[in-house]
Amino acid sequence: MTDDKDVLRDVWFGRIPTCFTLYQDEITEREAEPYYLLLPRISYLTLVTDKVKKHFQKVMRQEEVSEIWFEYEGTPLKWHYPIGLLFDLHASNTALPWSITVHFKNFPEKDLLHCHSKDVIEAHFMACIKEADALKHKSQVINEMQKKDHKQLWMGLQNDKFEQFWAINRKLMEYPPEDSGFRYIPFRIYQAATERPFIQKLFRPIASGGQLHTLGDLLKDVCPSAITPEDGEMKTQVMIHGIEPMLETPIQWLSEHMSYPDNFLHISIIPQPTD
Amino acid sequence: MKDFADGYLSKTHFQVTNRNVPPDLKEKNKDNIEQMLFMHVEESLDDSQVDGVCATAEVIRYEYHVLYSNSYQVPVLYFRACFLDGRPLTLDEIWKSVHACYQARLLEGPWDTITQQEHPLLGQPFFVLHPCRTNEFMSSVLITSQKENRCTNYITSWLSIVGPVVGLNLSLSYAKLASEQMLI
Repeated sequence: MTDDKDVLRDVWFGRIPTCFTLYQDEITEREAEPYYLLLPRISYLTLVTDKVKKHFQKVMRQEEVSEIWFEYEGTPLKWHYPIGLLFDLHASNTALPWSITVHFKNFPEKDLLHCHSKDVIEAHFMACIKEADALKHKSQVINEMQKKDHKQLWMGLQNDKFEQFWAINRKLMEYPPEDSGFRYIPFRIYQAATERPFIQKLFRPIASGGQLHTLGDLLKDVCPSAITPEDGEMKTQVMIHGIEPMLETPIQWLSEHMSYPDNFLHISIIPQPTD
Repeated sequence: MKDFADGYLSKTHFQVTNRNVPPDLKEKNKDNIEQMLFMHVEESLDDSQVDGVCATAEVIRYEYHVLYSNSYQVPVLYFRACFLDGRPLTLDEIWKSVHACYQARLLEGPWDTITQQEHPLLGQPFFVLHPCRTNEFMSSVLITSQKENRCTNYITSWLSIVGPVVGLNLSLSYAKLASEQMLI
């Protein structure tokens, strides 16, 4: 039987092989070779692509280079979503490597947040952690921590240091002995091609009778279409970190073991692959 | 307020950031019932310093949305701002436009105060005034008004506190309206 802690490691060290290609309309002084990279599922595009930027800037003139942004099959990729979520949502049932197009011009102001420095990513990451703790513990745990603990969470993510990160994050995964779980579960459910970017609602991990709510219970409550078969067939998959967890899994367990470093469960509802 | 879940309040206004107002500005908005024109005229330090040439007025279009945060269980102010030619303001420009009397607080922690975020219903970039301190300041407002037996409308009180930080000024008539509604 796999230890629960092994799940934490498997989630942290998940990687997606990716091929970055420069957009054909970008002006270059010589041909730009594609750049291959293993992307950490739990991180953010703008945090891990410094080498990609440097690689393409080498063949471009300074004046042609503005803020970098990424696109997949015409869809601008939101850097503030974790990489694993973006892949599961847009490309999980396509052949590897994941092909991402790199742009340096015509930043899509209406679609993407700006990311001029690492400070922006840190602010976003910490804001997500704070919101997750507001849901789990009425912000008590995060507010009791010192600034250096907050910094350690960020540095752990930035430098890919599992132990450093979890030394602090484990406190965010605890709950009072008299309770059986968190107050509410931090989660977001995503479906491609809807105007609404995600569904987020208040959901308790424990029922009034004391039973543990499951992933199936959550979906039935906030997104029933995800688990309703059409014509006797399931038209969609429910995916977290590239796998389909059993609907009977307790949501409290999922929250403790399969959340992203921002402490949210990011769940993708995607069409069933057609073989 | 909990019924807010899937909707939001919205308001658009134009702000002129210079003494010299282009004369045709009022006419642009005559036909549009949704837009209210605010002429925010800044006091110039010394009239004698203004030379003969009129500076071009910078007109900024602000759009404000009030949403409810389930996570913090408070209202949250989202807004976006662009020049008339469509160019959106940068985060830096937004920080700089915060009124002088709030600058000190902003500089203590700009990244905890106003940042760019995705609008949870529209999916587009907006600026947000962070809600994590809302409960703190609203509880003192509510306790005081309870003690004095005054009627308060939560949203009006909240908006009158956070709005001015980002250029949204509430007319006093809202306060009158709030107390009148309570008497019905």
